[in-house]
Amino acid sequence: MEGKQSWMDRMDKKRDEIGEKLEKKEINLPIDLITGALFLLIGILTLLVMPGQVKVSDTDVVNGRAFPTLLMVVMMICSGIVLLKELYSVFIKKQPLTTKKVNLLIEVKALEILAILILTFVICKVTDLFVIGAVFCSLGFLVYFRCKKKSYYAITVTVAVLIWVAFRFGLGVAF
Amino acid sequence: MLEFIGPALQHLFTLENFLWINLGVFIGSVFAAIPGLSVILCVILFLPFTYRMTAIPGMMFLLGIYCAGGYGGSVSAILINTPGTPHAAATMMDGHPLSQKGRTKAALKIALYASTFGGVFSALMLLFLGPQVAQVAAQLGTAEYFMVCLFGLTIIAGVSGKSMIKGIIAACIGLLISCIGADPMTSYDRFTFGVQRLYLGLDLAICLIGLFALVEVLAKAEKKPGQLILDSKKMNDNGKITKDEFKRMVRPTILSSIIGVLVGIIPGTGASEASWFSYDRAKAMSKHKEEFGHGSVEGIAAAESANNAVTGATLVPLLTMGIPGDGTVAIMLSALMINGLNPGLSLFTTQGDIMYAIMIGLIFVNLFMLLQGTFLTQLFAKVVSIPQEILTPIIVLFCFAGAYSVNKNYFDVGVALIFAVIAWLLRKLEMPPVPILLGMVLGNMTETNFRRALLISNGSPKIFVSSIYCIIFIVLTVLAVATLIRSKMKEGREGTKK
Repeated sequence: MEGKQSWMDRMDKKRDEIGEKLEKKEINLPIDLITGALFLLIGILTLLVMPGQVKVSDTDVVNGRAFPTLLMVVMMICSGIVLLKELYSVFIKKQPLTTKKVNLLIEVKALEILAILILTFVICKVTDLFVIGAVFCSLGFLVYFRCKKKSYYAITVTVAVLIWVAFRFGLGVAF
Repeated sequence: MLEFIGPALQHLFTLENFLWINLGVFIGSVFAAIPGLSVILCVILFLPFTYRMTAIPGMMFLLGIYCAGGYGGSVSAILINTPGTPHAAATMMDGHPLSQKGRTKAALKIALYASTFGGVFSALMLLFLGPQVAQVAAQLGTAEYFMVCLFGLTIIAGVSGKSMIKGIIAACIGLLISCIGADPMTSYDRFTFGVQRLYLGLDLAICLIGLFALVEVLAKAEKKPGQLILDSKKMNDNGKITKDEFKRMVRPTILSSIIGVLVGIIPGTGASEASWFSYDRAKAMSKHKEEFGHGSVEGIAAAESANNAVTGATLVPLLTMGIPGDGTVAIMLSALMINGLNPGLSLFTTQGDIMYAIMIGLIFVNLFMLLQGTFLTQLFAKVVSIPQEILTPIIVLFCFAGAYSVNKNYFDVGVALIFAVIAWLLRKLEMPPVPILLGMVLGNMTETNFRRALLISNGSPKIFVSSIYCIIFIVLTVLAVATLIRSKMKEGREGTKK
C-alpha cells in the first residue's frame, strides 16, 4: 500500500500542478452565436442528406420527408432568430455578445471522467464481462476523487460486484 | 367505472404489488434526499427493472419512486438547507429556518403530512378526472391530436430553460431523433446511415440514460469535492405540531393541492412551478406574512402539498392522450406501452381493471409514503451524507447495466455515452434537455397525426383549423406563447435592473 500511496501521491501532485495552471484559464464562449450557427448548419445538413436517407414513393400524398423537413425549417427559423437577435444587439445596440465563461480545468476534469466512462465501456465490450469493467470503473472514480480511504475501495468494489450479480442472476442479463 | 373497481382491487391487493410500492417509495425517498440526484434520474435508472414485470407492479414501483421523490427532496432542504430536488427549493425557504429553531422533526412532519395530503388529493382527482378527460380525448381526430402535441411541446419549450427559442430548437432536435428508424407509415428506413441496428430507432430509455443520468456524472467535474455533513443532534426535538399549527396548515394545504393539480394537468409544467406558485399564494393570503422565510408552518405546507399534488395530475394527460405532464412521467409511458397499454379511452374501457388498479394504487403509494416517512425519516436523513466517491461509480454502473439490459447489446451503451456528450455540449450552450425528451416521446404521435390529417384532407393544411377543438388548442397555444414571452421579458427587465 505504501508503494501505491506514493504512486497516487505523485499522480495527485502532477494533477495539482496542471490544475493550478488550468484553473486560471477561462474562455468566453459566445453561446448564442454558436447556438444559432450550429443549429442552422445542422438544419441545412439534415435537409441536404434527406434525399439519400429518406426513401419516398411517388404515390405518397404526404411522404416520410414532410415532417422532418417541417422540423428543420422551424429549427432553422429559430436558429436564424437567435443569430439575428445577437447580431442586432452587437452591431445596432452596441451591446456585448452573450457569453458564458468556460473554465478549462472543469473541461479537462470532465474529459477525465469521460475517459473513465469510455474505458469502462471498452473493457466491458472487449472482455464481454461486465464485472471487470465495473471494478475498473469503481477504482477509476476513486482515483479521480483522490480517495485514500481503504474502506471506500472495499465498499465500492463490493457494490460494483453486487450490481453485476443483481443484473446477471436477478434479472437474467447475461454479461 | 364501478364495474372495474372490484377486479381492480383484486389485481392491486397482492403482496407483490405492496412490496414493489414500498421498495419504490424507499428508493425514491433516498434518491431525492441526496442533493444532486433527481427523481427523473432515479426513474431512468430503475426503468429496466420494470421491463420484466407486468403493468401493475411495474407502474406501482415507478409511481412509488415518483411520489416519494416529492417528499424526499424536502428532507435535505430542511436538514442541510440544500434541496434534494429542484422542487424542494420552496420548502427550504421555511423548512430550514424552522429546523434552525430546534424543530427539525416538526418541520419534517409538516412536510410529510402536507405531501401525503397533496398526493392523495391528486390521486383522487386522477381517479375521477381521468375517465372524463379520456372521453373528451376520444372525440379528438388526427388534426386535433396534432394540435394537442403542438400545444404540449410549445409549453415545454417555453418553460424549460431561459430562452423559449432555444427550447423550441431542443424540441425540434428531440422530434428529429424520433424520426430515426422505420417510417411509422411506410416502414422505409430514415436517417439510419447504413447502420442496421438503427432501423428499429433509438430506444428512449437508452437516450435518457445519456441525456439525464450520465451527463450528471460528467457534471461532477464542476463540483468541488466535499461531503455534506448532517448533524444528527438536529433531530432531537419531539416533533410536536400544536393544534394551532395544524389549523393554520389546513387552508394552504387544500388550496395548494388544488393549484398543484391544475398546474400538473398542463403538459410541460411541473412540481417546481406548482410549489413556488403555491408558496407565493399562501404568503399573499396568510395572516402571518412576517413568518414566511423564517420558519412558517404555512409556507412548508403550501410548498409540499403542491409539489406532491402534481404527481397524480401529470398522469391525466399521459393516460388519456399519451401526452406526459412532465419529464418523469414521460419515461413511465414506456413502462406502460411495453405491457401493451396504449393511452386513450380504451385504456379506461377494455383495460379498465388494470388502469383503475394503477390509479387506486397511487392512493396507497401516498399512504405508504406517510408510513415510511413516519418511521424511516432518520434513515433518509443519514443518506444525505453518502460520499460522492461511492455514489458516482454506482450511478455509472446502473446506467451501463440498464442501457445494456434493454436490448442485451453494447451498441446501446455506446449510444448512451454519445448522448451524454451531446447533453454536456448542450449544457454549455444553455440548451434545456427536457424539450428533447418530450420531443422524443411525442415524436411518433405528432408525426403520425400530422401526416394522417394531411392524408385525409388530401394535403390541405386547412384541416388544422377545421374543428372547434383545433381552434381551442390554437388559441391556447397562442395564449401560452404570449404569456411565456411576457414573463420572459419581465424576467429580463428585472435582471437588467439588478
